[in-house]
Amino acid sequence: MPNHITAGAFARARAAEVSAMLKAATQTMGSSHVFQALPKHMRRRATSHNTKRLPRRLRDVANRMKRKSLLAGLKKKKEPVKSKSRKARRRHGNLLMEFNRRQRKNIWLETHIWHAKRFHMVKKWGYCLGVRPTYKCYRPCYRAMSSHCLLQDLSYYCCIELKGEEDKLLAALTQLTCKEAGMSNFRDLRGRAFCGLKKKKKEPVKSKRDGTRLPTSPVTWRSSSTGLVINDLTMEIIRYRLIGPQSHSVLAETLEAATVCDELKSSPLWWPEHCKDRSNMKLHQQQTDVFNVLKGIYSTGELPPGTVLGLTVDDPRLTLPRQKVKAAPCVNQDQGDEEKRNQLMLQGVPLQCCQSFLWERSVRENVTDNKISEQELNRMRSELLVPGSRLGPGPQQGRVPVLLVHQPGKQVGDELGSWGAGWDLLLPKGWGMAFWVPLVYRGVRVAGLHMSLKHSQNKAAPHFPHDYPDCPAGSRFQEEQEAEFLDTFRRHPPAKRTNYIKHGCLAPFRCPWQQLAEEWELLATDGGADRKGDGQTQMTRKSHEVVEEVTSQQNVAAASPPSCFTVLRNRRSLRLLSSWCRPPTCRRQRWGRGAAAAALPLSDSAVTSFHAAHKMSVVWVRLTLLSKGKPEAHAMLCVPTAEDLKLFGKSPESCGPQEPPHKDHYKSRINRKKKSAKTATPSQESDHQTASTDLHSPSDLILGLWPDPLPSVASHCSRVTLGWVTQGDFSLSVGRGEALGFVSVSGLLHTLLKQPPELRGTLLLRNPASLHYRFVRVNIDV
Amino acid sequence: MVRVKSRYLLCEINVSDRRDLLKLDDRAVSGTVKAAVARTHGDYGAALCSIRFCVKYLNAHTGIVFLRFPKGCYKLLWSALPFITSIECCGRIIPCFFNCLHVGGTIRTCQKFLIRYNTRQLHRMLPKCKNEEEKRQIQKAILSCSLTGGGDEALEDELESEEEDGE
Repeated sequence: MPNHITAGAFARARAAEVSAMLKAATQTMGSSHVFQALPKHMRRRATSHNTKRLPRRLRDVANRMKRKSLLAGLKKKKEPVKSKSRKARRRHGNLLMEFNRRQRKNIWLETHIWHAKRFHMVKKWGYCLGVRPTYKCYRPCYRAMSSHCLLQDLSYYCCIELKGEEDKLLAALTQLTCKEAGMSNFRDLRGRAFCGLKKKKKEPVKSKRDGTRLPTSPVTWRSSSTGLVINDLTMEIIRYRLIGPQSHSVLAETLEAATVCDELKSSPLWWPEHCKDRSNMKLHQQQTDVFNVLKGIYSTGELPPGTVLGLTVDDPRLTLPRQKVKAAPCVNQDQGDEEKRNQLMLQGVPLQCCQSFLWERSVRENVTDNKISEQELNRMRSELLVPGSRLGPGPQQGRVPVLLVHQPGKQVGDELGSWGAGWDLLLPKGWGMAFWVPLVYRGVRVAGLHMSLKHSQNKAAPHFPHDYPDCPAGSRFQEEQEAEFLDTFRRHPPAKRTNYIKHGCLAPFRCPWQQLAEEWELLATDGGADRKGDGQTQMTRKSHEVVEEVTSQQNVAAASPPSCFTVLRNRRSLRLLSSWCRPPTCRRQRWGRGAAAAALPLSDSAVTSFHAAHKMSVVWVRLTLLSKGKPEAHAMLCVPTAEDLKLFGKSPESCGPQEPPHKDHYKSRINRKKKSAKTATPSQESDHQTASTDLHSPSDLILGLWPDPLPSVASHCSRVTLGWVTQGDFSLSVGRGEALGFVSVSGLLHTLLKQPPELRGTLLLRNPASLHYRFVRVNIDV
Repeated sequence: MVRVKSRYLLCEINVSDRRDLLKLDDRAVSGTVKAAVARTHGDYGAALCSIRFCVKYLNAHTGIVFLRFPKGCYKLLWSALPFITSIECCGRIIPCFFNCLHVGGTIRTCQKFLIRYNTRQLHRMLPKCKNEEEKRQIQKAILSCSLTGGGDEALEDELESEEEDGE
């Protein structure tokens, strides 16, 4: 070993040491514990169970350690393999397929998903429809109908298109309707006004929604003799109904007339091709002008009924506001527009403006195919320079042909004229939600089937399936309703049911019109021999001289007795009857309607001739309660006796008479049956059964209901029954109870003759579960 | 628990005779230090030295030694080190003196200091080289210690055996 150190050796030794030191200094200490690897200011107690407190580089290691320790703890327990529940296994992979599968049984409207989130849904007529919202909204909906705007989706209406020449069409339609019955025999048939406005060959006619549409019926029918073509456009056209005096302002804010585009080259979209045609553009300009004038009118009810306006509009999604705004009427009143507005209100829309390209199949398909999807629209919105500004009308896409049809409100009667007027908006299919959401964002209230019933009630108009007992759909509806009521009744325990026998109510769940009509025929003919008395006659002999008359109905009466009852719809007869129903000292009807009818006063001869003309018929009446009381469905309408009228004449606010309670004979029979079933042997039971003269086997009897066949409906109670109420409720528009129903014509005439003139038209109304009669005034609205 | 703190003294043992350096042993060094403390500070010093005193690292090639003392009395014990004149190991007496370079709270700080000290020494040696070969060797040494983890592995293994890690 050399004595002296050399520089090289020194350097080498030092370098070696340095590297050793470096290695020692940089390597972590012996403990590989992950928590020690953190600097002291980052260590936390909770990292043992919450590894998210560690920085990412250490998290994996910590997770591994945690799992190891957990497993060590749980090594004894065995974790069972959890298979998915049946519901989780059957969950969709493909949402669209799932929706289509559900739609096979009941068709979904385009706005179904929107409704399903907010409404109670019901499956009716092969569709899934919203009945009423899940939130309490009866009064807000009524307020919307009477002062602002209410929206409904009526796309389930069948739409049938009739194509052909005008006179042939009219000839065919007159087979279905009758001039005397007036414009609407079918519901919604705007026969007169609509036919008059359109002179083109195509004639769109909407018929009532018919639950009996055959599934196998073809889409197009062709008539060989008249050359008419019938197309079934169900679910091709979407229909939204806006009800209320501000519906025009809602439409004015939502829709904007389409901007004209100048495009020289041809494009597959329909609007540019359209714009090239001069006459089309002129028409569009006229329609736009009418639409602009429409914005300024005060209330929707001011337009003449049956107005139709065709229009082409921009995509309403482009002008969607960010928040819901309530559509307000346009306050700006220009002098120049005043003239145009007056013209619009008096004469309606000019004839050619009711054309719309909605009816051309090629245009409809083009529009539906070229709709901008929501995704695309949102992408366009995100690309805007200034977020929240309006999207431009865009290229030639997004021009939709629509049809606006004016719905008149209450047209009949003296009070509340044009209540519930509104507009119907018809769109091509595929554009349902594109129009629905902008409409909802303008502050309309949305309602379902329940409100359409109330709408008809307030308008005092018969509502389709409920109040048409003479047509097959109506009778089927009544049977279904009866089954429902009976089911609910049976579900209650016997002690909690109302005993309709004791209340003297023969038919609380349905109205036997046929029986009523027949009985009144007999009563009237018998009563002709005996006018004095309290109106209760015995039916000793049956009359065989029933003369059938075909009144203004599509139902043809049977040739042999007993004939079917019918509903009186002849306008002139209705006017006559209406004038007879009111006291002669009452103020005259408005001279605009039926002034001539007041000429014929009520007398025996007039009544006899009227009765001869309309036998076996019932008439639609509206009843107003005079003081207290809320009428219910299937309430009885009865004739007041002379004493009742005297009492009423003295003090009009008096309460009506009371019905004495009836005795329930069937109760004892049911009890006997129960007792015998408990104790007796089969031989004893048969003895009991043969002993009683009961026609019905005890199993038919339901406690509290009259078994079929019913005894005489007219003369069962202390007051003679004239008819029944089909819809009754406290009416918010009038402020007292109102009921709508049918009464027998012969009975009504019989009653009116015998009443003192100043109290003419006063009847009694009794709810099925009550013994109390209320005084009502009967009105026939024409 | 309150932390137990120690002080680590980085000392360099300078011997006159180069060959004796390799004979050094950590037990010999610790014995020498204890005797020196006992001579200087008496029983009290000897008692203090017995608690937590040990030689943590000894590099025979370079003469670097890490001594650990308890924190409360390291100054006292430090003051005894200059009085060491020779180390006795395997019958031989090696005259030397202790040169304290650094006091650190942990071994790691002493190691870091040592790295910096050695590199500075090497840098100082470079201009004083007499011939090319030395220069080259020094340059190579400098390069090797600037890389982390580089260096002769055989030499490292030898040196590691003398290291005692662990806190």
